[in-house]
Formats: sequence, C-alpha cells, structure tokens
Amino acid sequence: MIADLVQNTLDGLSAGATYALLALGFTLIFGVLRRANLSFGPAIMFGCYAATWTHVNFGAGLLLLALITVSGAVLAGAYVERLCFAPHRGGSAIAAMVASFALWMQFEELATLIMPRHLYAFPLLYEGDPLALGPFTLRIDALAMLGAALAACLALWWTLYRTRFGLAVRALIEQPAAAALAGINVPWVFVRVFALASAIGGVAGYLVVASHGQITPMLGMWATLKGLLAMMLGGLGSLPGAVIGGLALGLIEAHTQWYLGPQMRDLIAYLLLFVLLAARVPWMTTRSAS
Amino acid sequence: MDDYAIGVLTNIALFSFIALSAYLLLIAGEMSFGQQAFFGVGAYAGGILTTLYAWPLPLAALAAMALGAVAQFLVALPTLRLRGLHFAMATLAAAEMARILFELMHWRREIDGELAGPDGTQGFRGIRWIFEHGIEPLHYLGIVGVLLALVLALFLMIERSKLGATLRGVGLDPELAASVGIDVQRIKLGVAAAAGALAALGGVLYAHHNTYIEPRNFDIMLGVHSLAYALIGGLGTAFGPLLGVLLDIGALESTRVFHGYRMIVFGGLVALVLVYRPRGLLDERTVQWLRQRFS
Repeated sequence: MIADLVQNTLDGLSAGATYALLALGFTLIFGVLRRANLSFGPAIMFGCYAATWTHVNFGAGLLLLALITVSGAVLAGAYVERLCFAPHRGGSAIAAMVASFALWMQFEELATLIMPRHLYAFPLLYEGDPLALGPFTLRIDALAMLGAALAACLALWWTLYRTRFGLAVRALIEQPAAAALAGINVPWVFVRVFALASAIGGVAGYLVVASHGQITPMLGMWATLKGLLAMMLGGLGSLPGAVIGGLALGLIEAHTQWYLGPQMRDLIAYLLLFVLLAARVPWMTTRSAS
Repeated sequence: MDDYAIGVLTNIALFSFIALSAYLLLIAGEMSFGQQAFFGVGAYAGGILTTLYAWPLPLAALAAMALGAVAQFLVALPTLRLRGLHFAMATLAAAEMARILFELMHWRREIDGELAGPDGTQGFRGIRWIFEHGIEPLHYLGIVGVLLALVLALFLMIERSKLGATLRGVGLDPELAASVGIDVQRIKLGVAAAAGALAALGGVLYAHHNTYIEPRNFDIMLGVHSLAYALIGGLGTAFGPLLGVLLDIGALESTRVFHGYRMIVFGGLVALVLVYRPRGLLDERTVQWLRQRFS
C-alpha cells in the first residue's frame, strides 16, 4: 500500500516535471503576448521528428539528437511567431489562435509526409535495469528526466530573474503598457520569448520521446493539451504556478491511473479543470485571454 | 452525379452545422473549443434511438437536438462568467470528458440476432436507418441540404432582426450591452442552447450518413476545425462558415489537386488570410459593402 503510494508519487513527479516544462513554455508566451499558441506542441513535435529523421538516416548520439530537437523546435516556433503572432500584435486574439491551429495542421501533415510510418523508435535515454532501493524501483531515465527538467527550470529561473532580458519579460507580463513606455523593445522581446519558450518545449519533448523510446504524430496534440491543462491548473500567466500546475497534474495522473485506470485518469484531470474554472478559484481568475 | 460527388457535398453540408454552431457562439463573443461534444452527443443519441429503439429518424433527430441543447446549456450555466481562454478551456474540458464517457459507454442489445450499439473504443457500428428505409444517397443529400437551408434562412432572419443586433452587441461589448438593459446572461444561455441543438443536429445526420461512429471522431480536432471554418469564412454573415467548409472540404479535399499536401496548403492559406482579414473573408465590412452594392 504505502510502497505503491511512494512509487506512484515518484513516477508522478518525473512526469510532472515535463508537464511543468510544457506549462512554462505556454505561460511565457501567454504571459507576454496574452495569446494561446496552439502550435506549441506541434512545433515541439517538429523538432522531435527532425531528430528522429537524423537518427534513422544517419544515426547520432543522444546529445546531438537533443540539440537537433531543441533547434528544430525553436525554428518551428519562429515560423509560428512570424506567421501567427507578429501580424496580430494588438489585434485579434482569436485570429492568432486559429492561425496557430492552422499551422498545427501543417506540422502534422509534414511529419507524416517525411516519416510515413505511424511509429518510429527513438534512442532511449537509458537502457538497463531500474535501480532497486528496498521495495521501490527507480527508473534511471525517470530520474534523469526529473534532473534535466529541474536543470531547465533553474536555467529559466536564472534567465528570468537575473538578466536584463528576464527583467524585460517580467515587466511585460506584469505591466505591459508601462514596460513599453519604459523603452523596452517589445517586438524584439516577443521574438526572444518565443525562442526561449520553444527551446524549453524542445527539452520537454526530447525527454518525453527519449524516455518512451518511440514517437508518433500524436505527440503534438499531446504536448499542447498537457501544457494547456498544466498552465490552467496553475493559474493562467504565473510562472511559479506553471511549475506547481505541472507537478500537480503529474501526481494526480499517476495516482488516478494506478487506482482507476488510464481513462479515469484523463476524465478526472479534465473534471478537476472544469470544476476549478467554474468555481473561479482565486488563483485562476487573475488574467483573461482577450 | 457520381457517388463521390454526393459524398463530398453531403460532408460539406454536415460539417456546416457544427461550423454554424461555432459561428453563433463567436458572434455572441464566446470562443468554444468544445462543439465536437454536442455533435457527438447528437450522433450517439440519434444512433442509439434509431438503432436500438427503432425510433424514426426525424423523431430521433428532434430528441438528439433537445439533448444537445440541454447538454450545452448545462455546460454554459457554471461557465457563463468566464471569458476568453478560460471559457475556451472549460468547454474543451467538458468536451474531452464527453469523449472519454463515449469511450466508457457500452450500451449493446441484441437486434435481429446481432449485438448492436455503442461498444466503447470499438465504436458504434450499424446505424442503418437510412438504408433500411430505402433512402438513396442523393435523396439523403437532399434532406440534409434542405435542413441546412432552413437553418441558414433562420440565421439570416435573425441577423436582420433586433435579436441579431442584440447578439452582436453582447458579443462586441457585454458591459455596454448590459448597461442598455440587455440581459446578457439570458442571451448567452439561449445562444449556448441553440448552438448545442445545432451541433447535435449535425451529429445525428453525420452518424446516419456514416453508419459508424467512434469516440475519436469527436476529439479537439473537430472542435477547432469548426472554429477555423467559422473564422476563415468570416464573421459578417452566416454564409461565412459555409464558405470555410467549402474551401477546405470542397475545394481542397475533393479536387485532390494537393493530394497529400492538403493540410499544408489549407493551413498556410488560413494563416495568411487571417493576417489580412482577422475576421475572415466575409467579414462585417465586406458584407456591408456587398449589401450596399446589391440592394
């Protein structure tokens, strides 16, 4: 009993760490642009497919694949920013969101054109037996995932709270009008925030496919839905909230899946989101989309 | 007309219903990611009634519409005061719950010696009412087309009435609308119920056209597509959503010119059109201009 509880909590934390990264990417974009980027997940998928393609055709080491994933995600993110968000700055939020959905369709079709099989193998982070600690087993790759996610969070924290660029980003999130008046080059910050968010998403995407050892075109939708869910649970537009939302989602999913099965896991996560939104809990009502 | 053309035209008409339901919500100022749920409720309810309980299709369609209206009303009631992305995510959460409930639904009975009815993720086979009643595909297209024309006529009538102006007023500025004495909450609940009924009607007709439905048909892809159809076609007139469906299913899927690249072409097209026309091809200004030219 207790052993299950501890084991599920460990598994939930390592899944939650990737959700936290996805939610951070979403929150950065939503925080400064006040727009939801539905193509966030598909751009990550594009990076992962670029890495898989390299792996299948040439073979490459883990580090190189991670690098390709992240640069692919940033490249795809830049394309999304130019076509969907730069033209609608200060304009229609719905138009920007629908445009980002349109590019999602493009990424998905592109992925299936280049790699037509439904499933491709991806090199595992770690192949070997899990670490046994008394009654518990620790999957090494889950541990690595947790560590890498923590490192990415720390790097992001340092960027946001210890650099001038980070100051500009936080100013834009808190007081957009005052930040612009203070001489912050707003379009340039937008571009860099998009690149930063895509890079974080790329790290999350790489960790997910490398720990599962496989990739399918469903990755894009999966990453967008999990990221949105975690961001909303933690309160829209708050960076610490995104981390808490991601970890909470991971823990809830791990426990409900163990006791109730995968369908109830998803049902309960969405039910929780719906109830919290309807109840207008204080931490979720701070900012609105349009 | 060959079977293929009939199939494409029927699909255009079927998806126009859900696009119109997304459009109705958009002009009243709400963005829904969840219309697929009510399309699905209509499809499942209608299919169950005709297949398992031998109801006639028209009656089943009415019941499904009522159920769709009640379902969206119940979702709207607690989410009425949410705006923007909060509202969109609440509708998405409701729709994903509905999809999972379809996956968990096993409601099978023996009909003519065979088990029929929804079987969870295995889907719902054998919704054969239109075949059992000898309705040819062309005839069915006629039925769907007439229903769509009726819905469109209703939309055009409403848009020319005071109610239409009220709807757009609520959509553009709910505070201002409330300050001139409009009961914004009542309008929004009414719009939600109507959108639910409309999506459910599309769902019933879709299930009987396809004869097979499965929970995956009603995922977020369908919901955001209907939103995209409404927005790309334009928010100025109820013909807008139809134009959106026509562009995607009619021009791109059926011509097969861009076979294999359809989504790349359509996706790029949508993003580019929205750069220059953020409220769609037939936006309010264009519709106004067209009206002045031709009346």
